[in-house]
Amino acid sequence: MELILIFISAAIVNNFVLAYFLGICPFIGVSNKLSSAFPMGLATTFVMLLTAIVTWLIYHLILVPYDVVYLQYVSFILVVASLVQFVEMFIKKVSQPLYRALGIFLPLITTNCAILGLALFIVLKDYSFIQAVFYGLGAGAGFTLAISIMAGIREELELANVPKSFQGAPITLIVAGLLALAFMGFAGMISV
Amino acid sequence: MKKQVSLATEYTKGLWDQNPVFKQVLGMCPMLAVTVSAMNGIAMGLATTFVLVFSSLIISSIRKLIPSQVRIASYIVIIATFVTIVDLVMRAQFPALSKELGPYIPLIVVNCLILGRQEAFSSKNHPGRALMDALGMGSGFIIALTSLGAVREILGSRTLLGFQVLPDGFEPWLVMILPAGAFLTLGLMMGFLNFMVLRKKTREEKELLSRHLQEPKMSLAKGQEA
Amino acid sequence: MKTIVGMLITLSIIGVVSGGGLAMLSSWADPLIAANKKADTERAIFQVQPEAKNYKKIESVAYELYQVLDESNNPVGYALPWEGNGFQGKIRMMIGVTSDLMTIKAIEVIDQVETPGLGTKVVEDPFRSQFAGLNADPQVDWVKGVPPTKDNEIQTITGATISSKAIVEILNDGLANLRKDMKEGGVQ
Repeated sequence: MELILIFISAAIVNNFVLAYFLGICPFIGVSNKLSSAFPMGLATTFVMLLTAIVTWLIYHLILVPYDVVYLQYVSFILVVASLVQFVEMFIKKVSQPLYRALGIFLPLITTNCAILGLALFIVLKDYSFIQAVFYGLGAGAGFTLAISIMAGIREELELANVPKSFQGAPITLIVAGLLALAFMGFAGMISV
Repeated sequence: MKKQVSLATEYTKGLWDQNPVFKQVLGMCPMLAVTVSAMNGIAMGLATTFVLVFSSLIISSIRKLIPSQVRIASYIVIIATFVTIVDLVMRAQFPALSKELGPYIPLIVVNCLILGRQEAFSSKNHPGRALMDALGMGSGFIIALTSLGAVREILGSRTLLGFQVLPDGFEPWLVMILPAGAFLTLGLMMGFLNFMVLRKKTREEKELLSRHLQEPKMSLAKGQEA
Repeated sequence: MKTIVGMLITLSIIGVVSGGGLAMLSSWADPLIAANKKADTERAIFQVQPEAKNYKKIESVAYELYQVLDESNNPVGYALPWEGNGFQGKIRMMIGVTSDLMTIKAIEVIDQVETPGLGTKVVEDPFRSQFAGLNADPQVDWVKGVPPTKDNEIQTITGATISSKAIVEILNDGLANLRKDMKEGGVQ
């Protein structure tokens, strides 16, 4: 039960994008079409899950026992970068169509602050291994949800008459603000 | 051969023409997350600038030694090292501030502004030029963070840098300090700035056009004189 | 082959330099960070136990607990740091309580990441001062929207009900644990 709460909390109540401002770059950059936003969300979720697992192991099996916690930023970001590289190679080997669909987004994921944020939050919240896995899944689901909703709205927005000075980033930010307001309705439903 | 621009221009371009936030839409995570007050904005801006300046200096100095296949990995290790330095120094010397900025200091590592400048500039230019570029981009980032922080602080808590600037009768707009307020304010600010730029441009064009229409001979004569 | 060796060498050199530098810096910073944390705890102890002049750490329990003493070294109560979940993350606070654990003296929030301007009001007066002299037997309760009528109630903050309730829950949880250990003779 607690695990489900952690998942929902990370996905909806404390959505990474709309409540913690993590992963804004792809959220604004890759959200103009649903057909690219959704795969991007899935790829990010996959990397988030792996990151949660690997960084948890590194933190608890290497950094803490050897008392080198100050290396956590350096090691976490290296883990994220190499995971992304690894996932890219793996997908390329296993499924060509999937690689063509996701390929261009994978390098972008390295600099997605949501991934490093996830690793740091897991340390900060002192989660157990299983909790960390569910937290990673929830964060990924939340990111996918936010970026897909955003893409859906932006596809409609294409047809709207937006003032010239607000086209592009400004109107996207305002839409994100309204989305954040809507997500505030979930606030406090669960606190984990 | 690329046209060489002066060192001063390398600095000033970051302030406005290529402002990392308003023009390039980079570094949004810290921009939105920590700007509940102007002071936080300044502190975050300074921390980011510190990391940017030192990473740029080091990377531009050793740019020819790094094999291009591992350049991104090398960059992020160097950036992460400087971020850890900032984090440790802040926790040791400024505990109150480090509590306030909390988990957003480590996220400077993935600020796309920093990695972006390394890839686009430091890896191709000598250290002096990279230093000016980093200082300029950092200043531009500080300007953006501080102005957003100031607007949100004034409207959201009636204060600026901790001093009350709006009367007690003014009900603070709580939405300003909530996440939604950050998105809305930045969106409106960017839209407004675009609007000003566009208006200035159209006015200049109109002026040019009307002058051209009214005094075709004068402008022609002037043109010849020049 | 040559490039791979070059890549490895470059990365190793960068890694070693970075790791070594950070190790040096961290050996300088760690004592200072620990001292800051200790100063925070000490300040909070004296804030929740105003008449305290001195304190000693109680070692017989698994968590942090301080017995506070007045100028003639008589115990006047306990200061208990306790943490729990707030609205957005962990709230860590210091609970000041009398020796019989029945009356709250004061509370002080040490760490929190609540919403600025809303949830952060739990750190400030008038919310904080409601706890001074509050009856904690059997537990602290909260009321919403109306002034408290019983001597073990506090009023939650409008717009920050969850953060307010979190404070009360952490308080009750900490005291319940302490009472249990006290009963079983764990606190010496």
